[in-house]
Amino acid sequence: MRVPYSWLMEYLDTEVAAGELAEILTMGGLEVEEIIDWTSADGQATDQILITSVTSNRGDLLSMVGVARHAAALLGCALKLPDCSIPQTEQPVMGERDVEQGDTRITIDDLEGCPRYSALRITGVEVRPSPPWMAHRLEAAGLRPISNVVDATNYAMWELGQPLHAFDHRLIVQGHIIVRRAADGEKLVTIDGTMRELTSADLVIADPKGAVALAGVMGGRDTEMRDRTTDVLIESAHFAPTMIRRTAQRLGMSSEASYRFERHVDPNLTLPALARSAQLIAEIAGGSAAAPAIDVRAGEFTREPITLRPARTNHVLGTELSTDEQIELLQRLGFAVKPEKAEAPGGMETEWLRAYPDREQALERLTISVPTRRPDLEREIDLIEEIAIVHGYSNLPTTLPENTSGAGVRTRRQKLDQRVSEVMRGAGLCENVSFSMMGRRDLDFLCYPEDACEREALVLRDPAAENQELMRTTLLAGLLDAAQRNVRQRVEDVALFEIGRLFFGDGSALPDERHSLAALVMGSARTSTWNLPDEYEKMDFYWLKGVLEQLMRRLHIAGVSFERGEHPSLHPGRTAQVLIDGEPVGVVGEISPQVQEAYDLPEPACVLEIDLDAVLARARLLATYAPLPRLPAAIRDLALVLDDDDRHSATRVVEATRAAGGELLEHVEVFDVYADRERVGEGRKSVALRLSFRHPERTLTDEEVDEAMGRITQNLGSKLRAEVRTW
Amino acid sequence: MEHRLREMAEAARRALREATNLDELEQARARYLGRSGILRDIQQGIRDLAKELRPQFGRLINETRAELEALLEARRKELEAGQSRLRAAESAIDVTLPGRAQHIAGRHPLLATLDDMLEIFLGLGYTIAEGPEVENNYYGFEALNYPPDHPAMDEQMTFYIADDVLLRSQTSTVQIRVMETQEPPVRVVVPGRCFRRDTLDATHSHTFYQLEGLCVDEGITMADLKGTLLAFARGMFGEEARVRFRPDFFPFTEPSAEFAVSCFACSGEGCRVCKGTGWIELGGSGMVDPNVLAGVGYDTERYTGFAFGVGVERFAMNRYGIPDMRLLYSGDMRMLRQF
Ligand SMILES: [Zn+2]
Repeated sequence: MRVPYSWLMEYLDTEVAAGELAEILTMGGLEVEEIIDWTSADGQATDQILITSVTSNRGDLLSMVGVARHAAALLGCALKLPDCSIPQTEQPVMGERDVEQGDTRITIDDLEGCPRYSALRITGVEVRPSPPWMAHRLEAAGLRPISNVVDATNYAMWELGQPLHAFDHRLIVQGHIIVRRAADGEKLVTIDGTMRELTSADLVIADPKGAVALAGVMGGRDTEMRDRTTDVLIESAHFAPTMIRRTAQRLGMSSEASYRFERHVDPNLTLPALARSAQLIAEIAGGSAAAPAIDVRAGEFTREPITLRPARTNHVLGTELSTDEQIELLQRLGFAVKPEKAEAPGGMETEWLRAYPDREQALERLTISVPTRRPDLEREIDLIEEIAIVHGYSNLPTTLPENTSGAGVRTRRQKLDQRVSEVMRGAGLCENVSFSMMGRRDLDFLCYPEDACEREALVLRDPAAENQELMRTTLLAGLLDAAQRNVRQRVEDVALFEIGRLFFGDGSALPDERHSLAALVMGSARTSTWNLPDEYEKMDFYWLKGVLEQLMRRLHIAGVSFERGEHPSLHPGRTAQVLIDGEPVGVVGEISPQVQEAYDLPEPACVLEIDLDAVLARARLLATYAPLPRLPAAIRDLALVLDDDDRHSATRVVEATRAAGGELLEHVEVFDVYADRERVGEGRKSVALRLSFRHPERTLTDEEVDEAMGRITQNLGSKLRAEVRTW
Repeated sequence: MEHRLREMAEAARRALREATNLDELEQARARYLGRSGILRDIQQGIRDLAKELRPQFGRLINETRAELEALLEARRKELEAGQSRLRAAESAIDVTLPGRAQHIAGRHPLLATLDDMLEIFLGLGYTIAEGPEVENNYYGFEALNYPPDHPAMDEQMTFYIADDVLLRSQTSTVQIRVMETQEPPVRVVVPGRCFRRDTLDATHSHTFYQLEGLCVDEGITMADLKGTLLAFARGMFGEEARVRFRPDFFPFTEPSAEFAVSCFACSGEGCRVCKGTGWIELGGSGMVDPNVLAGVGYDTERYTGFAFGVGVERFAMNRYGIPDMRLLYSGDMRMLRQF
């Protein structure tokens, strides 16, 4: 809200510079975003404008008087308020639902939406432009001066916070105002010239013929003030905040009035605001009240007093404020405070009170009458906050709590999560952080079939952007997107991993959130590659598989195996399923040509994606030491020629070797593989194995090793039709 | 005999000393110390000596042999070292060519910032809690004391999947889940992803990270909140850091405070980083509203507590001088390799 400095200072009995005042208000909970040096359009007036930002709970600060009241409390100075009293002779005519007075009748149909409607008829006004002082003030406040009568109502609103509306009384059929819900489809042209179609959720001001204004939001064009108007009806009403908000929101309208009503206006402000506007109209437009004001309302608007325990204030804030100090702070806010003494601490026999040093204060009670302008103050704790604000947050002590809960440590899972990131980064992959949303387009790019579980994604009702309508069910989409962006920047060495959540469900309940690890590599992993042959330079399938094996090793997971696997996004011949104890936990492979093309990558990237929850459930934080061998191993090499297919994979060869090797066979390593038609024949391949034999207690004899080698070659021959070759 | 020995020793010393390579040294060794060398020859002559002179001459021969052998060994080492230097020079490489190590990647700047924050709170005795990113209205708003019509619950602010399934807009949701399963004392920090409908630009993102803190116990005061956040600011920015609290409004805290730290770039003088104010806003905080505590079944007379929430993105951007929030989510290798 724009708060002109010189206008504000009229209400404050002190002297304080604009900058200093802004700082005090900001530290007191009314943020002053900036101070603008302002000059009126005609160059005749200058001022400094404080631009305030008001939190949604403090509708009372949306007026000059509201700001002044708060400033006075913070500054501890007196307040000079405008006279808004109604002369005794003109006491309003009150009623509960329907009041008629002279040529005016007010009926409230919907007391819930409009608990109070006050109005005053002023006759004999002469509509003309406002005098310069008024026009300048409104201009400084950011309101466009229109004509004296309308300006007077706007001025009173800015000053007091009560939105007012001026009707041409003669344009209201039978002078009868009816506050009711709109009929569905009812139409109203508002003063901005727009035709509004209403629903029964909207509250309207109507006359017997139809709607004349959108309650609390905007007046209607047909009943607004004209240049020739002499007979005015000023509306000063109280509307329910939620109702006004819904209407304003649905119609995409916001006005100074709706902005205030949405944040709550003091229901007891309707009559003072009428009095103030009548005063101003009399001053600048002539005219006078034709009859006493009408005040239709659901009842009295009063507040239950709140009890505050001064000891509790200190207990919550960590202060040592005396009861008198607290009373003074509350009185500065304009609250009436009545001190009492309780017989016993009653209802407060708690630990904090027993330990409380000031037994006397523990018996003190303050009964506080909170004005109706502060609906945000309902409880003791709300008043404690008020005390803290006026006392100043910066004046509260600064302490650390006693630690009664012990050491702060990461959980096993949190430590394992850290380790996964460390291993992946140690392998040279950068940590990617991508959005949790993805698009159906990504699922198409990744070639997921219609029945894939990845397509059972949560759908956002109103996505933030194109291709972000789903919650992700795979991290691959984000990684491939990132790879594509890098390639577009001519960065072709890409090594990324991401740890993130996937969301599975149909949206009818909270989804299953799974933690996933995925990685994508393409190009070289090395800092430099001069003179390196391709196989050292490139991150290929075996490179990424190696990283995954390292990860499993660092998580101390045994029983990891790899089988040829299938994945819609991956090359069918270059995909492995990752298993732990035979249970699938993920996949590693090269992306298929279709996916490569969809993301426009220069080479087939290799990716992995594993279920981190399943993997980490089997992980161990600590390794167990295995004793080092005391005796040297006997090493033998073995060259085999066998069929080149999945049934004769490296894993099968190693398994068959182990099965026949007996206890002495410690380790089997494949160290050379080739399929050369000339040397080994069509459909065959050569596999060279290095075998280590060891006995824990003694040196092995050649005969023992030979015997084991014999069993192994025999088994390989019979199970896998492998020929043993010597070289 | 003795004279011959001395002459031979002198000649042998010279030959050993003057040998310029291992071959020459070997020749000298063979000549003087070899199986059929001169020393051996002299030693043979011992038989011609009188019996009483033999032991003394024998000692002399042994001493000479020992001396020459030591000299031989020393010279051999000298020559060998020289030779390997020579060989090394022949197989020299260009040591200025770049190394060919594998990259080692650093932590993502956002997560590194979060780690540093967590470290401080672990040190203060907090544990780390996590919770779902997709939440229902109860945990997202209701239990946090939001009135039923609060604008934050609008579709314009919050992402919805269904009427009662939404993306959490703050990590405060986890406060409730923690307190539901635990009696005080509670001391947790909650790092995590949050979502708010915000246009994506240099300083805004619809996805962002928050760190939430919650401390509930007997006798926790607002002064403790100030002290804790001062310790946090000092841990992040150094011992010189100061914090500022000013009133704000959040449904789930009362009193509520926005907190800021003195600008690390200008120490409060005012600069571009702090937009001239000398302060950098870090987040929201306050004393946990009694309604929230009562909602999870805590005795609101006995227990008080504070909570706070800090955005991580702007923190990270300030720390590393990253000008655009979108870079953090870009996966750009050129950026990531810098950390
Ligand atoms: Zn600065």
